[in-house]
Amino acid sequence: MNTAEREARLLEIGRRVVQTSPADETEVLLADGRDFLTRFAGNQIHQNVGAEEVWAVVRVAAGRRLGVATASSLQPGALDTAVASAMAIARASEGEKDWPGLPKPRTTKKVGAYDEATAEASADARADFAAAIIAAARKKRAEAAGAVEIEEGSLAVVSSTGVAVASSDTRVQAHTVMACGDGSGYAEGVSARLADLDARRIGQQAALKAARSRKPEAVPAGRYDVVLEPAAVAEWVQHLSYLAFGGKDFDEGRSPFSGRLGQKVTGEQVTIWDNALDRRTLPQSFDYEGMPKQRLTLIERGIAKAVGTNHFRARRMKKRRSTGSALPASSGYECLPLHLFMKGGDSNLGQLIRDTKRGLLVTRFHYTNILDPMKTVLTGMTRDGTFLVENGEVVGPVKNLRYTENVLEALGRIDGLSRRLTLVRGPCVVPALRVREVQFTGTTEF
Amino acid sequence: MKTLLDRACELMKQAGASYGDVRIRQDRHESLAVKDGRPEHIAMSESAGFGVRVLVDGAWGFFGTHRLEESAVEDVVRQAATMARAAARLTEKPVVLAPLAPAVAQYETPHRKDPFAVPLEEKLALLVAASKAMRGPNLKLAQAFFAGFDTRQHFASTEGARIEQHIVQAGGGIAATAIAGGDLQVRSYPNSFRGNFCTGGYEYVEAMDLVGEAPRVAEEAEALLAAPPCPEGRRTIILDGGQLALQVHESCGHPIELDRVLGMELSYAGDSFLTPDKLGHFRYGSPQVHIAADATCPGGLGTFGYDDEGVPAQRTPIVEAGIFVGYLSSRETAPAIGRTSSGTMRASGWNRIPLIRMTNVNLLPGAAGRLEDLIADTDDGLFLVTNKSWSIDNKRLNFQFGTEMCREIQGGRLGRVYKNATYTGITPEFWGACDAVCGPEAWALWGTPNCGKGEPGQTARVGHGVSPARFRNVQVGVKA
Repeated sequence: MNTAEREARLLEIGRRVVQTSPADETEVLLADGRDFLTRFAGNQIHQNVGAEEVWAVVRVAAGRRLGVATASSLQPGALDTAVASAMAIARASEGEKDWPGLPKPRTTKKVGAYDEATAEASADARADFAAAIIAAARKKRAEAAGAVEIEEGSLAVVSSTGVAVASSDTRVQAHTVMACGDGSGYAEGVSARLADLDARRIGQQAALKAARSRKPEAVPAGRYDVVLEPAAVAEWVQHLSYLAFGGKDFDEGRSPFSGRLGQKVTGEQVTIWDNALDRRTLPQSFDYEGMPKQRLTLIERGIAKAVGTNHFRARRMKKRRSTGSALPASSGYECLPLHLFMKGGDSNLGQLIRDTKRGLLVTRFHYTNILDPMKTVLTGMTRDGTFLVENGEVVGPVKNLRYTENVLEALGRIDGLSRRLTLVRGPCVVPALRVREVQFTGTTEF
Repeated sequence: MKTLLDRACELMKQAGASYGDVRIRQDRHESLAVKDGRPEHIAMSESAGFGVRVLVDGAWGFFGTHRLEESAVEDVVRQAATMARAAARLTEKPVVLAPLAPAVAQYETPHRKDPFAVPLEEKLALLVAASKAMRGPNLKLAQAFFAGFDTRQHFASTEGARIEQHIVQAGGGIAATAIAGGDLQVRSYPNSFRGNFCTGGYEYVEAMDLVGEAPRVAEEAEALLAAPPCPEGRRTIILDGGQLALQVHESCGHPIELDRVLGMELSYAGDSFLTPDKLGHFRYGSPQVHIAADATCPGGLGTFGYDDEGVPAQRTPIVEAGIFVGYLSSRETAPAIGRTSSGTMRASGWNRIPLIRMTNVNLLPGAAGRLEDLIADTDDGLFLVTNKSWSIDNKRLNFQFGTEMCREIQGGRLGRVYKNATYTGITPEFWGACDAVCGPEAWALWGTPNCGKGEPGQTARVGHGVSPARFRNVQVGVKA
């Protein structure tokens, strides 16, 4: 079955669910896809897995009372059961006084997110990819761990208001952590097409970093100017999104942006937007309510501009239309921008390092978590390549450190951004940054 | 079911598998959230399918499908075997499994009230009442939660194992969020992040007395808004059960996973400082620290009859009088330390391979009596209550935790309330500074329903039994 046929089938199943549902309003989100992942460690493959899955999320409204149920089958019986469960939930619920009804159809743009060659890539193709990374590790006498993941699938949304949209996409994510003695390095690649990723380059990048990070010296905790590579920047931007850019938390007063739209929240260097239609990310044409994706400016030159909404939150916030940020109805979080971009500057990673008198170069962060959601205080560790920079040169590796930092404040201290934007896992498209005086609050033994 | 299992085993052997197993699994999940006295989000989900795992040419392959029908078996086995052969191209050390006598058995979680049989209206009524009982001038959100899980699994292996399991889990809790002046403070009961969980039925949720505890929880959230931030310094601290459970989880539970120790999780969450050369002699903590992994613990969220390799649930000593003595292991990893599997392989669903997961990693009770006794025995310290934030490095050494609430202890009595408390340390130093653990009368089980691991990601429900404990000379807060 090709993607056009699969999309048509999902739409047909969705129409049947909507037509046979006893609810006043019915929406069904349907997915059909496959996920393959080859995982390696110690320079050999140790897990090689795949699964084919379908799922459906049924949302019904009985008057203003709502119910949601999910199923892992697209068979009529399973979907009828899901509708019945959703109806039972709706009957047990109280009416949602602000319920605006399901959204009406809007025109969506097609995005070229499906690559047939990627979808058909074999287990041997993934093993070849892993082998190229491992070969790069061996050249540096390093040991590679990592994963090559390929997903392909189709998604459809059908509702009783006339929404009927479907699309298909492929996604490839590859990453490796390399150990070289007591050194560690990291590299990754993300694309909709397997052919876009260069396994050897990913391997070489991680191996080089691992080799360079051997015999790290301890440096004390304290404030350091830092050069953050894109993976580290993305960690901050994505946590910021989770804290600040969701319409539900904003509406409930739990977001640091609550009551602050139009106000300065960080430095002028910071412009962040969401755009699932941009081919530089993993494109998506509509959200999980079937509403069109669009470009949404979240922070512009340090000013909070907007948050992501679904139809319900948009109406609660007196907006006519959602921003196309709906999550599946089964998610209690409701809405979130998922395709973030951060504007770059006029520098590059090398120049950011050369312009640093004394500071740290950070490859990425590990286990970031939230200490104070309203103040955007995060903590986390550096990982897989942290280096001391002195007088514009990387002088050597250092042991990892813990940072504890107010991220909106820290982004206000950016004094350099790379022109080049990099797609990293998330997806998130970001520059490298230099940030003054980031607070490191602890050290570790490696 | 039996026909599908038998057919899968037969086909796995025909495909050249030296070992293979198949799991048919059906999961049901119900999640209820009430906000400000009204049902906010109610969701039911069902998932069913089967997964086949084969060892061919010394390498693993796995494939899972939602097509729960005999006609799919041949294709699924073929795909799993193809995957194994591709992996074998890059496998220098063939997988060797620790021996196991195949079991033919049935297991079911003891429970009195099936959480899915309790009417939705009844469960909502409890949550609505609890939510309405949380009030205060700055209280912006009064939330109450329930979750039920029901897992039925049929397992078969090419070695002849045939195991049926039915696991029932339930839990819930309340949370009060107070917001004023740009500050947000949350108090939860009995634990943060949607409450506490167990293997058992709805009776567990009823026994929480969510409605009775609600006014106190709301008052504490309000009090936190007015409280000063916890001062920085080296302090004596006492951790309550909920926070200590997560401390055990992050700084003991994860670093004793033998797959992680052997580097198999390096590219995701990291490896471990507890390398095999430390086994049997490394001082992990003070002589007061005794830890065991116990999948047989009644009511623990990590309790089951057999793991997903068919290994019986068991109790494994991990730390004895402060000395590190054991790992969580699997049939594949146990030979690396010259042992047999400790029975900890679990998958999050039919579509995932089993991984080494925590069972109930328990800090065993000490001799410090009740919590009140431990506080009375402390001249100058802080009592840290209910987890708010957690972070730990990729070898599980440097950690930092934040708690919802902190109480000063002066002269053996609880004093003023502080907010935004954090503490940090290095794992063996921290556990080495443990000088008292409360007794069996203070020991309770805590469920962690959201333990993440693996690629593709898996979420496991695991447990931790703890009594509150005291630690000396701990860094509290952040040095500016």
